[in-house]
Amino acid sequence: MVIDDEADFLETIVKRLKKRKLDAVGVGSGEEGLKMIENRSFDVIILDVRMPGMDGIETLKEIKRKNPLTEVIMLTGHASVESGMQGMQLGAFDYVIKPADIEELIEKVNQAGERKALHEEKIRKDEH
Amino acid sequence: MTITPHSRQSKIYMFVVSALVPALAAVSIVTGGSVLVALLSIAVGFVVFYSMRSLVKEVSRAHEQKCFLDEQLIQSQKLAAIGELSAGIAHEINNPLAIMAQEIEWARYQFDGKEPLDINTAELGDSLGEIARQVERCREITHKLLDFARKKDPLIQGVDVNRLIEDMARLVEKEASQKNIRIIREYRKDLPTLHTDAPLLRQVVLNLLNNAAYAVGENGNITIGTRTPEEGMTELAISDTGCGIPQKELGKIFDPFFTTKPPGKGTGLGLSICHSIIVRLGGRIMVESQPGKGAVFTIRLPNAHKPGK
Repeated sequence: MVIDDEADFLETIVKRLKKRKLDAVGVGSGEEGLKMIENRSFDVIILDVRMPGMDGIETLKEIKRKNPLTEVIMLTGHASVESGMQGMQLGAFDYVIKPADIEELIEKVNQAGERKALHEEKIRKDEH
Repeated sequence: MTITPHSRQSKIYMFVVSALVPALAAVSIVTGGSVLVALLSIAVGFVVFYSMRSLVKEVSRAHEQKCFLDEQLIQSQKLAAIGELSAGIAHEINNPLAIMAQEIEWARYQFDGKEPLDINTAELGDSLGEIARQVERCREITHKLLDFARKKDPLIQGVDVNRLIEDMARLVEKEASQKNIRIIREYRKDLPTLHTDAPLLRQVVLNLLNNAAYAVGENGNITIGTRTPEEGMTELAISDTGCGIPQKELGKIFDPFFTTKPPGKGTGLGLSICHSIIVRLGGRIMVESQPGKGAVFTIRLPNAHKPGK
């Protein structure tokens, strides 16, 4: 899932991710994103840091509270070190500065997905 | 017993001398010297041998004692750190508690013997807002502490270290360049893939970069580099031209709650979290500094992950 308030950007990125055979959906705000994860589980969420309403850090907190295994890649237009440190501490997988190179972003999505799979495998092993 | 270079050297001397004397004796017999002289030199040889041996024993005993005392010193420093830790927590949490107590007092005063309509709700709202803010502050402290204490096993993936550092450098670069801080890259090309927990390492690198920028303040350089110090290891170094760290503080900078920032500006947990992350990743983090000339933080990680303590 991609969460970003810029409609144009959202549309393009979802289209490009789909083209790469990644099952992607886009929503325009943190609130909508949180509603989405109520019904569906996501492997990776790409999340814009600066959004009106609920901002990226708040949304990240909620996502991690509701579903700690979902990996979150933060997307930031203005490179703020403060929010970067906060985000990493809250368990974000990575920080990517806009405009992001699509190849790089896909690479990171794959790594984040791999990490989630590793995590799930580990939990399965620990349970046995 | 540990053998120091010093005592090893004296052992070698001991054997050389004690071997030399009988050899000289043999030579003197062969060359026609008297048997008495030969016997005398053998006796001298034994005396020298025994006195040397007791000397070496004495030295190594002294060394053992020193090691023991060193260990005790480290232990007591650790205990002092724990003491400081609890004092730190108490201090960090006491301040918000004091503010909350004051706000509650004020809110009570607003109620005191008044008719409901006379109560100043704006004042009450302010008090409640302040209390909520202070609760949030306490929560942040406890969260960071939990983070600190949580021994979650790292998730190991193959990582391109140069890439990882570069991403974090870019995040810091914009703010840094506004303060005329230049970031110099000295990446070693073709580094082998590092198997580690990427988000944890990112957290450490970002923290160190942020500290470096803070230490420089304005006008200066931050140099980031990667190296292969030995086969199977990767080293990353972040150095700055900032204010540096005084000698007496170098031993404490990884302690929880140790901070030189003004109250409220830092919890003093940043570097201690970095330290515990790197240990968990099976590596080491080191610091060198000359006051006034900046500091160098070096992280050494095994390419194949070995879990740390």
